[in-house]
Amino acid sequence: MGLARYVAARTIWAALVSFIIVTVTFLLLALAPNPSISQAATQAALEGGDPATAVEQQEQLRGLDQPLYVRYMDFVQGVYTLEWGWSQNRAQPVTEALWQGIYYTAQYSIPWTILTLIIGPLVGLYSAANMYSWKDHLATGFAFFGWAIPNFFFGIILLVIFGVWLQWFPIQYDTSVPVFSLANAHQLFLPVFVLVTGSIGAVMRVSRNESAEFQNADFMKTAKAKGVSPTRAYAYHVMRPTMVPLSTTIVSQLLVIFLGSSLLIEIVFGIPGLGRVTFDALINQDTNLVLGATLLFTFIAVIGNLIEDLVFTIMDPRISFDDR
Amino acid sequence: MAIEHDAAETIFDENDVVTTDDVPLLEVEGLTTSFKTEAGRLVAVDDIDFTVDSGETVCIVGESGSGKTVATESVTQLIKQPPGTIGGTVRFKGQDLMDLTEKQLRSIRGNEIAHIFQNPQEAMNHCYTVGWQITEAIQIHEDVSKKVARARGVDLLDRVGIDNASARFDDYPHEFSGGQKQRIMIAMALVGNPDLLLADEPTTALDVTVQAQILRLLNDLQEEFGMGILFVTHDLGVVAEIADRVIVMYSGKIMESADVFEIFERPAHPYTQALMKCLPERGGDQRGGIPGRLPNPTNPPDGCRFAARCEHATEDCEVGEQPPQIEIAPDHHVSCIYYGEGYDSSVVRDAELEAANAPETEANR
Repeated sequence: MGLARYVAARTIWAALVSFIIVTVTFLLLALAPNPSISQAATQAALEGGDPATAVEQQEQLRGLDQPLYVRYMDFVQGVYTLEWGWSQNRAQPVTEALWQGIYYTAQYSIPWTILTLIIGPLVGLYSAANMYSWKDHLATGFAFFGWAIPNFFFGIILLVIFGVWLQWFPIQYDTSVPVFSLANAHQLFLPVFVLVTGSIGAVMRVSRNESAEFQNADFMKTAKAKGVSPTRAYAYHVMRPTMVPLSTTIVSQLLVIFLGSSLLIEIVFGIPGLGRVTFDALINQDTNLVLGATLLFTFIAVIGNLIEDLVFTIMDPRISFDDR
Repeated sequence: MAIEHDAAETIFDENDVVTTDDVPLLEVEGLTTSFKTEAGRLVAVDDIDFTVDSGETVCIVGESGSGKTVATESVTQLIKQPPGTIGGTVRFKGQDLMDLTEKQLRSIRGNEIAHIFQNPQEAMNHCYTVGWQITEAIQIHEDVSKKVARARGVDLLDRVGIDNASARFDDYPHEFSGGQKQRIMIAMALVGNPDLLLADEPTTALDVTVQAQILRLLNDLQEEFGMGILFVTHDLGVVAEIADRVIVMYSGKIMESADVFEIFERPAHPYTQALMKCLPERGGDQRGGIPGRLPNPTNPPDGCRFAARCEHATEDCEVGEQPPQIEIAPDHHVSCIYYGEGYDSSVVRDAELEAANAPETEANR
């Protein structure tokens, strides 16, 4: 069938893209001076030894004396078998360090994604249905506020007001509470709130504009002439076509915020998630962990784009799979 | 198209207010539809009266912007209110639709009064299969299972001439041609066995051969179901083919209304004559259309709306209101001062057109 072939082709393409990224990463690393080798040379010189021998020794130790293609094969094999090396700073394998980060990141990312998926399109639809009324202006204003204000700054303000002054929410993230507990929901409320307001802005804007177009479409008149109630007409006849262009916005918006703002949010709220792990690795020059985190984010972006494409194609029945 | 009162009577619901023969199926009086615009109040339909009987086809003709579409969409209040405002009375089987709540209107729309529209390409939602859209129409008005609705939908598609209907039930609108889409729209309109079908230029977007097929289909269905049809068109050729009675609209007003033979054989209003002169096959020589433009709808002129473009217009034509509907023959009304007392109506008659049309129309029947 056309669809199955299209999905297969698109997936293979995504795999190819990830492979190209891995290759480019390897080349950049191979070209960059290795800090541990120059360190060894400096140390040898200070201790009165021969820097050249020390460098050679160090290279041999790290397998850098091998020809480039052997090192490349090694690297690629390592990446795809999830042997991402050892994090010196955290004294544990890179994959384990990343897993620990994902564990905390998922706890706020999943509710945030679900809420964005529900609230964003609905607020946009509501705005379109009440276009240019005070309700529309209120919803638009709210969405633009969330979109415009930097997430980390908004987070700090909320922490100061509701955490420090009013003391409604804890300031310090507590890793010891169970995942599915009220206490966890309580302490994750502010970060999730900040992220949702940040991401629904763009989603709501696209949803509002697209549904504004569809609510005046001829098929809405047909629906009314059939005796369809306005609520049903909005829920089925406007929402469904709106989801086609909106699906790409939602995926890309979630990706942008996940890769960018969540790092800042984790630092502001002290959540030891993926962003925090990456940040610490950068500060401590933990090359393996930085590389691992970068690859992970890249893979997420590639998969996100794949999902975006597939969802778009599946949602719009007019797109023909045979032409691709 | 014979008027079959008996057949029409049987499909009337029991809860109808009046079901006697002398009450028209649809009786519109003083219908006025206006819109709030930035340029002021736009009156699209201005105080018009007309009736449609069961089994009868009434055509509203006029050039673009004359208010034909707004008039039909005002019947079941498809017009968005606001910005639109609909006034007057619209009695359907004796019941004034203006008195009904939105919920009551919804139970009539698509059930007793159905619509088909000009552009079948856009009239269906591209994200749903045609079957889904027909099933939706059925299930809104009747509490039936999906299976039953599907079977009914397939039957209807089959009835309107979609080949291999059960296999094509789950296809999307874009997989059908324009003519097939209009057939599907007609099938969707038939789900409630409507008593009245409002057809808004249903053949305008289709090519001529398909147009003829759709008109034939509507004709067959009318004979089968005995429904009244209010048909909007700007094509006098279509009018000659399907109409029982004709209403000529211009700038929101009715200029002339009569039996279809009468109007082709004795076009009385200068506007009706001008429309006919645009038809080369009917002895017309006005290939470039009628000179001049429609008046500004937010600020219509005094007197007859057509006066500015009328070759016979005098000073009297540009004062007061639109002239009253004068009955010049049984059931033939004209809104032109020349037919009033103290004027010579022979001035505006067009002998050439009348001679050219008399045999033509007979041949068309």
